[in-house]
Amino acid sequence: MAPPPSLQVNLSPAELSFIRSSLAQTPPIRLDHAKGPKDFRSMRAECDVLPGANGSARIALEDGTEALVGVKAEVEKSQWRPVPGESARLTAAGEVTMLDVDDAADKDENTKGKGQNSWVEISVEVPGFRDDDALPVFLAAMLTETLLASGELKDRLYINNRFHWKLYVDVLLLSPLLSYPLSLLSMTTHLALLTTRLPALKSEKDEDPLFDDDWDASVQLYGKERQQIEKPPVIVLAMAVGSNIIFDPSKEELAVADAVLAVACTTSANSGGRIVSIRTVDPPSHLTPPGVPNAMNSATGGKVPTSSADALTQRELLSNSGVWTPPRGGMKRSLLSGIVKMVVEKGGVAEEVIEALQRVEIG
Amino acid sequence: MIDDRRRINPPSGGTSAPVFARTVKEPEYLPSLRPTRERGPNDLRKIFLQTGIVPSASGSAYLEIPITQSKTTSLIPPRSSLKIACAVHGPKPLPRSAPFSPHLLLTTTVKFAPFATRNRRGYIRDSAERDLGVHLETALRGVLIGERWPKSGVEVIVTIIEGDEDAWWGDSFEGGRGGAGGGWGLLNVLAGCITVASAAIADAEIDCVDMVSGGVAAVVQDQENGKEASRLVVMDPCPSEHRDILAACVVGYLPSRDEITELWFKGDAGAPPEELIEKATHAAAASMSVLREVVLEAVQAKFQGQLPEFKGKSKRKNDQPDVEMTG
Repeated sequence: MAPPPSLQVNLSPAELSFIRSSLAQTPPIRLDHAKGPKDFRSMRAECDVLPGANGSARIALEDGTEALVGVKAEVEKSQWRPVPGESARLTAAGEVTMLDVDDAADKDENTKGKGQNSWVEISVEVPGFRDDDALPVFLAAMLTETLLASGELKDRLYINNRFHWKLYVDVLLLSPLLSYPLSLLSMTTHLALLTTRLPALKSEKDEDPLFDDDWDASVQLYGKERQQIEKPPVIVLAMAVGSNIIFDPSKEELAVADAVLAVACTTSANSGGRIVSIRTVDPPSHLTPPGVPNAMNSATGGKVPTSSADALTQRELLSNSGVWTPPRGGMKRSLLSGIVKMVVEKGGVAEEVIEALQRVEIG
Repeated sequence: MIDDRRRINPPSGGTSAPVFARTVKEPEYLPSLRPTRERGPNDLRKIFLQTGIVPSASGSAYLEIPITQSKTTSLIPPRSSLKIACAVHGPKPLPRSAPFSPHLLLTTTVKFAPFATRNRRGYIRDSAERDLGVHLETALRGVLIGERWPKSGVEVIVTIIEGDEDAWWGDSFEGGRGGAGGGWGLLNVLAGCITVASAAIADAEIDCVDMVSGGVAAVVQDQENGKEASRLVVMDPCPSEHRDILAACVVGYLPSRDEITELWFKGDAGAPPEELIEKATHAAAASMSVLREVVLEAVQAKFQGQLPEFKGKSKRKNDQPDVEMTG
């Protein structure tokens, strides 16, 4: 599959080689040279922007990438499932059988493990892509996986034996694809979920659900009153160049990465950062054109290789000469654990990002 | 997602397995059917791997993790197995209309056969299958030396004939937790896809920096006498054998470079994920021992009689016992 054209950069092999060698220095010099390896690009964020949604947020990055997320909740009927030992009379055509009253009594305080993965649905819309293209599918899969990883969110959507909330998270990228959008989309989703409110339930137990129409009485999905629960996870993008680790790379920096890693992390009040998901991302650098050294180029006074086998051997000897060759292979394990440590440690990247997003909601 | 309009499809909710009366009437019958892990935490299931099964493809391979037979009276098999076929077409020239590419363009397609899992899969690839395709592409992209084939493309087509399940079938009746993130079977499937695709690429004789193999490890919590046992890290988990899988990790590992091209970790490992990644690379190294042997055998069969030094060694398979897999 060809890479998405908008993620490819039009840089010459010489430019790629220059960016790579400046990023591989200690300390690395980034394209925006005022930034350190752990610094994120600046952004403008606002929440509760959509009046028709249960929760929403919008984030615009300094390079013009902008994302909008709306969270909608709907009440849905749960599928009935047989329970062993229950003297369930299977009435005609899957009729719902009510449980006995006495064992329904202990249901409401214990919703743990009742939630199902299908109750959260995420759709990602990226302009210029069909919804079954590789990039939107990958983004949606990673976002869904991180939200469902702890199992707490889906349990909170349980209403009673017959009904549950269905949460639709619609992620829209408003601008064209100017950089790899994973961390932007995840931060916007995080903010939207923090502001999501569900109407307060008035009915009890297995009655048909009835809700309070007062918006002030609604409960927050990730509310302040639930201080002990985990925040929704945030995905940070990290790339490795040589032995350097750089967070939140721009499009041009990604084009010279040796390896790219997306790390999803969450924090809760009592424990520090916790990793919920890690995925490697295919770096666009694998698809950059290799450079031709002067020694092999007849236009610059070099000698053209006589045969293709000769050209191959000469190419293989280039790896340390500074002429751009696309990186091969993967990521060393030591580098990987280095990234993981920088994300989860006390005062690490994850904590910093989540705290910064928390402040948006208050302000 | 696009609907499949060309065929008459079953209801979108899927078909569920029949509920047998005995599982509802006798509460203690269903838990007695639950399979348990009989191998040690570091033992892997046996792998069958063969290359060169599709004559029309430039390279192909077939991988199978057979079912371990166990005595059961139930109609439903307690465990699932894994059967994956992979065909590699190419490298072949790109069509004239395609823009110039300085590289070998890699296309990966992962498709579950409609009968591969307990719930029927449609003919059009769903998002889980596309996601697996992206993962497989990431695993292979770092391995292929793409710049040696400008203006050409290669297609890796993986068909899953039988896929690992996400959890034991009885869990949907028991109301068990079913795993935090779900989808644990996909990790096993991906590891199998990586190994089989690597064998097929070697069979197609495409230049690579190394062979990549897949391995899975998981943090599981089983129940003993009704109490929750302590967490345990196991290699090559069979999801139906474990009550709760808390976290799992699959890696695509290059042993001779000691590098990872593909990493997919999910769940709540409790501790930092390094240990899990470490175990998964051990599992990958173990499946590499099979992969290496199979590719070597295939090469010997191919050049048998052509090169003098291979003539004496053609019976190699009979000389050496099959590789026994341990961690």
